[in-house]
Amino acid sequence: MIAILAVAALPWLITTPYWRGILVVCAMNVLLALSLNLVLGYTGQLNLGQSAFFGIGAYVSTILVKTYGWNFWLAAAAAVGAAGLLGLALAAFAVRLRGHYLAIASLGFAVITYQVLINWEKVTEGVRGIYGIVPPVRGTLALFYVVAGIAVVVYVLMDNLVRSPVGDTLRSVREDEISAASLGVNAAVWKAFAFGICAGIAGLAGCFYPGFVGTLVPDAFNIVESFTMMAMVIVGGMGTMIGPVIGAIVLTFLPELLRGFGESRLMIYGLALTLVVLFMPGGMVQAWLAVKARWSS
Amino acid sequence: MSDLAALVVQQTLNGVYLGCLYVMVALGLTLIYGVLNQINFAHADFVTVGAFAAFFTATRLATRVLGLPEAGGYLLSLVVALGVGALLGLAVNAAVFAPLRRGDELRPLIATIGVSVLLENFQLWLFGPIPYQFDSPFSRETIRIGRIFFTLQSVLVVAVSAASIAALYAFMRFTFLGKALRAVAQDRETAGLMGINPNLLIGLTIVIASALAGVAGALLGPVLVLTPFAGATVVVKAFAIVIIGGFGNVQGTILAGILVGVIEAFTVQYLGSGLIDLVVFVLLLAMLVVRPTGLIAERKEENV
Repeated sequence: MIAILAVAALPWLITTPYWRGILVVCAMNVLLALSLNLVLGYTGQLNLGQSAFFGIGAYVSTILVKTYGWNFWLAAAAAVGAAGLLGLALAAFAVRLRGHYLAIASLGFAVITYQVLINWEKVTEGVRGIYGIVPPVRGTLALFYVVAGIAVVVYVLMDNLVRSPVGDTLRSVREDEISAASLGVNAAVWKAFAFGICAGIAGLAGCFYPGFVGTLVPDAFNIVESFTMMAMVIVGGMGTMIGPVIGAIVLTFLPELLRGFGESRLMIYGLALTLVVLFMPGGMVQAWLAVKARWSS
Repeated sequence: MSDLAALVVQQTLNGVYLGCLYVMVALGLTLIYGVLNQINFAHADFVTVGAFAAFFTATRLATRVLGLPEAGGYLLSLVVALGVGALLGLAVNAAVFAPLRRGDELRPLIATIGVSVLLENFQLWLFGPIPYQFDSPFSRETIRIGRIFFTLQSVLVVAVSAASIAALYAFMRFTFLGKALRAVAQDRETAGLMGINPNLLIGLTIVIASALAGVAGALLGPVLVLTPFAGATVVVKAFAIVIIGGFGNVQGTILAGILVGVIEAFTVQYLGSGLIDLVVFVLLLAMLVVRPTGLIAERKEENV
């Protein structure tokens, strides 16, 4: 409840258009980190293909609206479906592959998607990009409320999901697939479930991206974006609900706050990322819990 | 020789040359994976650092300060890039890999992403975003045999790659350290019990891998558009090669590297250069479905 009020109050505290824009980006990143966390944190599958799902959501929704004149929300639903299907396709690999093999396979998935966006010029306009995309709602403020609202709904639903028996099932797949199988858990089905939801939510986040920026180019879905999303989950604390949210907020605002350092800001960002991994093994959430435990004892 | 035969031979040669470049990049990745079970996402930036080190050696230090001829300058730059790569490996091992040795596989992976961002932007700050023109004096010399053309540079690339592979092989086979390294790759704990210091050897592996990346950068410099992000374009393909060859399998990596080079050369010839990555990664996914262990099956008892 407090969280919802805080989200609602944020745009009044931050009034400049630029920072309101950052808020929208932040809400999208929260969605992306939340969805990745389901696969990475709860199901234990290394997925470096998140940027592909984000991109599919963006392109499918935009093309349906611009070329075929669909209603945005209908197009968004189709985009979520398309991204979800792609997630199921990646899950087919996840059933057979483990650990680093899956990481590279999903990376390959992201590269292929990126290359298709570049090369399939008839549909995607390739590197020239699609221009003049209007957001589904008027104004940055309204867009923020829509995306942040969706993020809150997704958070609540996912929080319920991971605390339900389904969450336990996913965790059992993460901890030990063979033991899980001996207890009657069909790991393949649950991996497909996690990948499908993860991809669908990433696709949903993607629907709002082109309207916000106004243009759509394949470079926005370069594989580097997958790394950034993964970093958000890890820095915040994977396998916890609030961790990826914090990670997304920190890693969205950190580069912006470092703008004062000019050119060297991304250097500091890289350094900060490395240091967090080195000194906060469980991410920021666990570090906070450890500090709190020491303080109270 | 008919037109088609000449074309096929020419493209195969181009492919082998390209493949050798990829092998030089991929070898380091596969070595680190074989010994540590780690993916180094900063490998791309080691290649870039090597390329810049070579560029400044060849165009500034060697020719202007030392007064060497151009060809000598380029050869010296290969050695400098090797050294710079090795030093970088030493530093990254001390800062990231050594402290994160215990614990899950994810953390070092993310830490190397952080190192990668750091290195890329440090170079961006140092060298700026405008591409550097790195000409190798050997690229201007063309050799012609019948209707087949190739540059002296491609001969040099193939020779340096072959020499590196031979040196690596000899080191692994015939020296005590090489034997110890293979022991650590097989079973770190047991090797430790036999009086081998695994940490030292893991450090050595990373230094060798990074030195190879440095040389790869020096060889790639004249091919790439030399910017702080140059390495990243090649390394994604190197990841694919490492998988196609079988993770941590050196012979598989060499075979896969050359195969990908040849496939790429023919893709450019028949389908267009825009589709290279697409073809390579579809091949990768197909490979993972059909034969997840790679071209040469990973033998559990020996994977270096």
